[in-house]
Amino acid sequence: MPPRVQNQLVTNSLLPYLSSSSTPTSTISKIPTQCSSSSIPSTSRRTCRPFSSTVASQTKLRNEMFTWLSSEGTALKNHVPGSTNYLTQFKERDEQPAGRTRPFPLNQNFISESILSEELRNEIYDRVVNQKKSVRAVSVDLGVDMRRVGAVVRLVELEKRQKQQGKSLALPYARAIHEMVPTTPLYEDTRDNRSRPHESINDLPVHKLTDPQIFYPVSESRQFNRVDAGRVFSAAPALENKQVTNTAADPAEVISSITQNPSHIEKVGKGAAEQQVLQPADARIPHPHLIAHERFRQSNPNEYREIYKAYSERLRQEETAEKERKRLAKERREQQQTKVQPESSRFEFRFKDVVVSKETTGTDGRGSKAPGIRYGVPSYERKKGQVKIPTRVEV
Amino acid sequence: MRNRATTPLSKPKIRQSWSKYNLFNLQRLRNPPTGSKTFFQQKWTAKSMARAYHGEQVRESQWARMFSRRIRSVVPMSPARLAQDDGSGMSAGRGAGVEGTKDFPRLTPFTQMTFAPLERRLDVAIFRAMFASSARQARQFVVHGAVTVNGKQMRYPGYLLNPGDLFQVDPERVMYATGAPKDKHERREGRVARRKSAESQETEAKEEGAAEESGEKKDAESEELGQQRENDDPRETLKVLLAQAKNIMAGSKDVLPAKKKQELRGFQKAVKRVLSRSDSSTVLADNLESQFSELITLLKAKPAEKKDAKRSKREQSSEDAKNVSESTSESATASESQPGEALTEAFRQAAQNPEEEVDTSELTEDEFDVLKRALVQMRDNPIDSTKPYATPWRPRDYMSAFAFIPRYLEVNHNICAAVYLRHPVARPGSSEVPTPFGEPVGTAAFAWYLRRR
Repeated sequence: MPPRVQNQLVTNSLLPYLSSSSTPTSTISKIPTQCSSSSIPSTSRRTCRPFSSTVASQTKLRNEMFTWLSSEGTALKNHVPGSTNYLTQFKERDEQPAGRTRPFPLNQNFISESILSEELRNEIYDRVVNQKKSVRAVSVDLGVDMRRVGAVVRLVELEKRQKQQGKSLALPYARAIHEMVPTTPLYEDTRDNRSRPHESINDLPVHKLTDPQIFYPVSESRQFNRVDAGRVFSAAPALENKQVTNTAADPAEVISSITQNPSHIEKVGKGAAEQQVLQPADARIPHPHLIAHERFRQSNPNEYREIYKAYSERLRQEETAEKERKRLAKERREQQQTKVQPESSRFEFRFKDVVVSKETTGTDGRGSKAPGIRYGVPSYERKKGQVKIPTRVEV
Repeated sequence: MRNRATTPLSKPKIRQSWSKYNLFNLQRLRNPPTGSKTFFQQKWTAKSMARAYHGEQVRESQWARMFSRRIRSVVPMSPARLAQDDGSGMSAGRGAGVEGTKDFPRLTPFTQMTFAPLERRLDVAIFRAMFASSARQARQFVVHGAVTVNGKQMRYPGYLLNPGDLFQVDPERVMYATGAPKDKHERREGRVARRKSAESQETEAKEEGAAEESGEKKDAESEELGQQRENDDPRETLKVLLAQAKNIMAGSKDVLPAKKKQELRGFQKAVKRVLSRSDSSTVLADNLESQFSELITLLKAKPAEKKDAKRSKREQSSEDAKNVSESTSESATASESQPGEALTEAFRQAAQNPEEEVDTSELTEDEFDVLKRALVQMRDNPIDSTKPYATPWRPRDYMSAFAFIPRYLEVNHNICAAVYLRHPVARPGSSEVPTPFGEPVGTAAFAWYLRRR
């Protein structure tokens, strides 16, 4: 709401005559200046128009608001460089450190989390682009999520390009924001970034299949582990004894074979209900190779060099598998596409064969995503109420 | 769309906005009473409170379609713990786990995530990235074409961002949205500047004879400037520059903004004056590095040429010393004026024997730094009355109370661009959807949209 015009300048013609005769001019000259300053509490506001018969321009609530803004609210007016300045720490008297990170007093569950500092951002960019380290390695080393690492590289790249083009940057604004919001620094010893990560890098998304509570009787003598639980959740038959012993013998190998070939995961169900068997958390976290690393470290606690060697070897394997997977996917995509670039044309035409599958036409052949006009499938393109907002923007 | 997103004081509603009215309402917000209310009433109140904040620009039917009862959540896993056991301990014994594992994880606040689908909207994401002071303003930026998604202009505020989308807002708009507004004097300055520029354009368009007449005033000004130029030699200018730079960089809170502004303006003028003496026109470009090096070389080169005019220099330098002491006595101590003298001393040495290597680097590191920083600040945050916000830019009042950036966005504030990394998730003990309401309101609102009322 825009602030209303405050017509507090009392133009009462009687005022000079009513006020004391000793210093009439000075009092009058003082009044407007007092009233115009918003920092005085409402009591003095009331007293500065004692003889006015007009209705007060300020409601009680507005008075309260300006009183609060000029008393307790003043601390919130300007930011405190280097620390947060939220309402919560003033509402809760007992100076808790938690109050410093909660912007909303009533919401205990939302905390203002730190953002990447400029140095950390540049370090990430440097490691990925200049030192040619993999996103996975940088993510583990600096304790930043892999998706964030990718985003940082994109953004810094964009920033560099804008600087080159001479476009204006919002530098004072960026500086102010970094003063207001908590930031994760780049520590002197970058190993500290690993021990004190920016965010949790091994977040396990809660799978839909684990929502229902299942009561599954198991004999007490059986080792019922995460793999078995995943099979129960996806209604897959229990593993045979031979497979169980294999898994127990070398769990790291089993997990890496799953994560490096995700298309080979066992499937259950028939027809449209076919789905992959729910894998244990060991395979579904973003950095499964870290589990093997930890296991190796716990078994050989003091052989640092060996541990590091094994770690880098595991990382390399993971990366090559990922690259291979990407290459194959790209090849497959290019096989499906025919590119035609006519002479003297700026455009390249890309043709793709129509695929009639469950994903495009749907099980009944009437899916809306499939291209072309199909008999018996009406097009609602020009019908009322069709939302035309794009659903994605291709880069 | 008419803006109904007011922040009334009588029936307070919390909005996605940084206004002081909103802050006051937020300060007196309480959980709604439930004692004498039916369950339906509780849900209704909670839903209307929450919807006034979350996507009030979205129609109710539209939001009801977006609502999803399945809430995304994650559990942070520790590789060390996963390596230690295969999870069989959890199902050991009679199924409740072996004895001794009684570390209950914190509860996941699922119901605080009710409005997570709205965080996907482009206008809300712009507000969350702190590029606009309210969701309504963010919406306006989108509609007015100041926002690009993945490099293409996007004019739909209701565009639902996909993970990995990069959106960017025009930095000028962001500075306007987040900066303090102009006061009436600054607005007037802007008007005057605009009128002047319009007049000058007119006069240029007219014949040259008319331009000469109007140029008389300018001539007088330039004569003054010329006199000044003759008067001040490089060392003096350097000194003055340094003193000004120091004053600017001091950033003392007790100095009035108006005074600071005067200083800044003076500094700007001085730099321009120095730079205008060099013949190359490239220095007037915005490139800071070249400007700085030009300034330094200029100040170094000049004394080397004017070696014979030492006496006059001394006289002037004594005057300068007085001036400097006068100027610094107000705010700075004697120690602050010392490095300036050191710098001039170094310059003198460099001037007297230009071939020899003088240990200027040791002496003048600080001064160079001060000068450079002042230049940087002047370049980054200049006084410019043509801008729609108060210059030099400063954050608007009460902004810090609303300053947070949720983790599902990765924001680069320098270029006002952000990447929507993933959908917001709940995790044990915290939810990523910024909502001012507590758990009771969130739960009741979630129950409302389950449509079992």
